[in-house]
Amino acid sequence: MIGYLRLELMRVLRDATFLMFGIGLPVVMYLLFSNLGLAPGDRHDAGLFVMVSMAAYGGLGAALNNGAGLAEDRTRGWLRQLRLTPMTPGAVVAAKAVTGVVVVVPAVVAVLAAGRVINGVELGFGQWAALVGLLWVGTLPFALLGLGNGYLMSGQAAGLATVVCSMGLSVVGGLWFPASLFPSWLAAIARWTPTANYADLSWHVAFGAAPTLRSVAVLTGWLALFGLYARFAYRRGARKV
Amino acid sequence: MSHGEQDPAIYWSTPPIPSVEVMQLTHVTKRFGPVTAVDDLSLTLSPGQTVALLGPNGAGKSTAIGVLLGLIPPDAGTATIFGLSPERAVRAGRVGAMPQEGGLIPRVTVRELVAFVAGTYPDPLPVPEILATAQITELAGRRLDKLSGGQAQRVRFAVAVAGDPDLLVLDEPTAALDVEARREFWDSMRGFAARGTTILFSTHYLEEADENADRIVVVNQGRVIADGSGADIKKTVALTTVTVTSPPGVALPELPGVTSVEVRGDRVHLRSVDSDATVLALAAAGAVRDLEVTPANLEDAFLRLVRS
Repeated sequence: MIGYLRLELMRVLRDATFLMFGIGLPVVMYLLFSNLGLAPGDRHDAGLFVMVSMAAYGGLGAALNNGAGLAEDRTRGWLRQLRLTPMTPGAVVAAKAVTGVVVVVPAVVAVLAAGRVINGVELGFGQWAALVGLLWVGTLPFALLGLGNGYLMSGQAAGLATVVCSMGLSVVGGLWFPASLFPSWLAAIARWTPTANYADLSWHVAFGAAPTLRSVAVLTGWLALFGLYARFAYRRGARKV
Repeated sequence: MSHGEQDPAIYWSTPPIPSVEVMQLTHVTKRFGPVTAVDDLSLTLSPGQTVALLGPNGAGKSTAIGVLLGLIPPDAGTATIFGLSPERAVRAGRVGAMPQEGGLIPRVTVRELVAFVAGTYPDPLPVPEILATAQITELAGRRLDKLSGGQAQRVRFAVAVAGDPDLLVLDEPTAALDVEARREFWDSMRGFAARGTTILFSTHYLEEADENADRIVVVNQGRVIADGSGADIKKTVALTTVTVTSPPGVALPELPGVTSVEVRGDRVHLRSVDSDATVLALAAAGAVRDLEVTPANLEDAFLRLVRS
């Protein structure tokens, strides 16, 4: 399984599209938003807010993208080839999941590093560590959503679903434009999205507060829901190998 | 009692031979909706054989191989490899397989893929040896998405043999290749067959089956319709053609051995199951003029089998 993990990580790190859009794009958007003053509020707070938002966007995008890659693997006959090696299907899924967990890190860290190095954002060490940790762990529901898409859909559909899910959920969750600017009905929806609650954990930490229990609870709910979705998709999709 | 059909006297006078079959399909049936892809098919392979599963497209070859490898659950019947279920034999690293297509992922080099697959087996071949066997040593650093059709096929072959399996299964390994690439592929395969590994491959090319297999199993409409060496298959349908210039007053269809008569211009083509007897009868009738005897070719034998 270690060999497979290495192979998967190699594939991700050589994926120019992922490096550009998965890691580069959130950094670029962060630098644009924070330096052109497009975000509301004073420059310091807005910059901090946008840094967390874009790090969250990068993290969830990476998590979704990895799972959806399974669809391409199946289309290419790769999952069938793996089934014809002594590797167990469980080990394949586990390695894919671990890959998802690992590739989230550079996407998150790239934006935070741009904040620290380019924009000179100053936070305590504990805060930085907490941000990385929360932005990392919080991608679990999205990783499961991605796996579900990957098992259920064809390669192209899963790729599209990744874009729709990551952009759609990010916009509605207030990562691109703060939910405080939303009309009240949209703001009410935003409060229940997995994205808003995922980013909210880190928004609180960045501004020196503890994450709210409500966000933890809502995100846990989504974790359970997407977990069920992934399990359903696995049972249906695994037969198509 | 697997020897149940044998004569009891013979059975009891010799000690039971321990089961040595490499793989066994027993009365396997698989339907896809209204189509019966595999119809009560049974097949047993002995160690060291190279066996061709020969049949036209849609004969059920790929489905039978899918069942054998545990990728397709049969509706009836069983598949075993070395006495184990296909899944367990695969887990134990005793099987290497090359499905009809796919299995190559982008952004990975040939060597990385081969080394990874070899690493999943308990007792693989050394990577340089795998690359040499498949004749892809010079491609080792190439990305999988940058290979020609023939190169890709040899890489897929390398993946199948990487684990030094006891049974190698190749599903239509040359279906998409041009003549040159096919020849190169079979060169690689024969190199591996020399190791004594049991090999099962499917093809719809007769020459390939005849040139590369010790035994040919002809499959059509999901059933085995012939099983033997290339020579056996030819004999089964004995299609020797005896050609003479139209002899007047001889009842050609009644000559011994003749199964069909075809007149083209002034030449008469007699298909015969016993060309010696046919020629002797022609001679006795004084009808030997510009005699030609053309031995059966496998292509004819095959077409004849499949159509009957």
